[in-house]
Amino acid sequence: MNLTDSRPLLLCALLAAAPLAAQQVDVTLDGRLVTSHSRTSFLDGGLGKLRADADSTSAELGRLRFGMSGALGESFHYVLDASAWSTHDTNPIDITEANIEWRPTPSSAWRSRVKAGAFYPAISLEHRGAGWTNKYLLNSSALNTWIGEELRTIGLEYNLEWLGAQRNSQFDFGLTAATFGWNDPAGVVVALRGFALHDRQTPLFGRLRTWVPGGGRQQRVLFDEIDGRPGYYVGAQAKYSDRVLVRAMHYDNRADPAAYDAAIDDNAWLTKFDSAGVRVQTASNWTLLAQWLSGATYVGENAGNCWDFSAQYLLLAKQLGRHRIAARQDWFATTQVRSAYPGLLGRDRGNAQTVSWTYEPVPRLEFTAEYLQVDSNYNWRLWLGEDPRARESTLQIGVRYTFEAFRH
Amino acid sequence: MYRFFDAVRIPFAALALIATVAAPCACAGELVIRVLANNGSPLASAVVEVRSLTEQRRPVAPLEASMDQVDLAFAPDVLVVPVGSRIGFPNSDVISHQVYSFSPARKFQLPLYRGKPYPPVLFDVPGIVTVGCNIHDNMLGYVFVTDAPYYGRTTAAGTWSIASLPAGNYAVSVWHQRLRNLARPLVQNVSVSPADAHSEFLFQIREPLRPQRMTARRSAEDSY
Repeated sequence: MNLTDSRPLLLCALLAAAPLAAQQVDVTLDGRLVTSHSRTSFLDGGLGKLRADADSTSAELGRLRFGMSGALGESFHYVLDASAWSTHDTNPIDITEANIEWRPTPSSAWRSRVKAGAFYPAISLEHRGAGWTNKYLLNSSALNTWIGEELRTIGLEYNLEWLGAQRNSQFDFGLTAATFGWNDPAGVVVALRGFALHDRQTPLFGRLRTWVPGGGRQQRVLFDEIDGRPGYYVGAQAKYSDRVLVRAMHYDNRADPAAYDAAIDDNAWLTKFDSAGVRVQTASNWTLLAQWLSGATYVGENAGNCWDFSAQYLLLAKQLGRHRIAARQDWFATTQVRSAYPGLLGRDRGNAQTVSWTYEPVPRLEFTAEYLQVDSNYNWRLWLGEDPRARESTLQIGVRYTFEAFRH
Repeated sequence: MYRFFDAVRIPFAALALIATVAAPCACAGELVIRVLANNGSPLASAVVEVRSLTEQRRPVAPLEASMDQVDLAFAPDVLVVPVGSRIGFPNSDVISHQVYSFSPARKFQLPLYRGKPYPPVLFDVPGIVTVGCNIHDNMLGYVFVTDAPYYGRTTAAGTWSIASLPAGNYAVSVWHQRLRNLARPLVQNVSVSPADAHSEFLFQIREPLRPQRMTARRSAEDSY
């Protein structure tokens, strides 16, 4: 079953009804001046790693975001987030997350929470802001770019937390378990294109273009249930005061790699990975983030095609009053380990460096200047007649303003 | 609830008592308590209680106080009140909060709200009540409910004073949200002589403290 089937009805109903009931409405406008030296972007059917296409200088819409949230009764909270990225969008505006959470007031240190709907699994340490907004840099790490492109929990998540701070401990702990559907194609993009670095999330009813070896390009539907088998993830989290956060997760979409859906012309991709991350914040306003992810994706009869993929990054940020500087080093690799077809096994490796400066003159208004450089070596670029080795870079000046409205 | 006599950790002999004689005779004088962290820096927002070791406890009239919520933080984040006091928890933020505590000294919850919709909460048992917000887990406040006749909070300079304390022997207990064991205030004894119109007492905390919590910034709040 394809989420795209019921798209117009669902979209209209949700977007029309939500602001009427919402207690908080956010509208974020993110504009960019972008100058890039890059290969043809994956969004245009190439094997470039950036959102911006080839060698270009232009003014772009970074993102237009509508966020709506509120409470339903005492213990239920909902979030609806929709965004437009202007280029390559399937719909002019589309939903990235829509969920409802049961969060009862704790009567002891143990608190249970249940979330249902469409939302991000708690993997990224960069995306701390509403609407899964990166708090540190304009362009996300390779690791979290992939999460935003291909992953969404459309299902049910249970969290059990021990609220240590309320028990006068310095530690808090949490366990997470989730089951989900409609994410069977996850893995296709990281396998065929490799990792990328940008800030464009795939909305629930959207598509993402992926180059196919020997077969041109394809607009991929990523949120689709193909085999009727729910996936799961389990995770754990520990916090030390508000200084250190450690997370780990195991993810498995339990897809049947032989299952095929003609409606979207794609198979289910069996994708499994482990991920871990740590965030350290100091009293002097330094933040260190480190994340690691490693997994594999399988597709075809007898899982005849298999790719291993992994990504890591280190990010260091310093808040200086209204200014913030941040730097990140990324590493990523995708390796095809077996193929059902003769030919070159795909192999992509790379690293990236990003530096940025952000100035927030008043709350919710940010000016950012960011430079990103990515070196990658992807042998499938030979299919395009390109040099497998590419150095791509982008310099972006961003202005982001969030308008907030509250219903009292 | 803590038992403060259990909490004497530093022997009487280790006390640093600096007394300066400023007036010829006084039956009651000013006592200044200066609280220092283990690194020697003044410790602000420490709760100080002074109890007589010899005299009967004198009741202190309860009061009405307020712990506001501003920029996703409790303001003040530590409130010390006498037993029987009532505290209001207004919400000055534009977003809703859901204030609760499950501390033994006072369990309560104020369903999701903005502004000031609820009557003040009664705190009628001495002890430390940890207050949180169910929506924003980083919000942390403490209500210190005391049965001591003299109490207060240290200033930014780490000091707290009583204008007129009768001469005698006292137990001075100090509590801070950065103490390793929040259930046990630190206690030292002090003697105020009739000759002293002004005494200054240095309360040196020797144990390492918890890291200071970050300054609340609304934009720093986690949505994920």
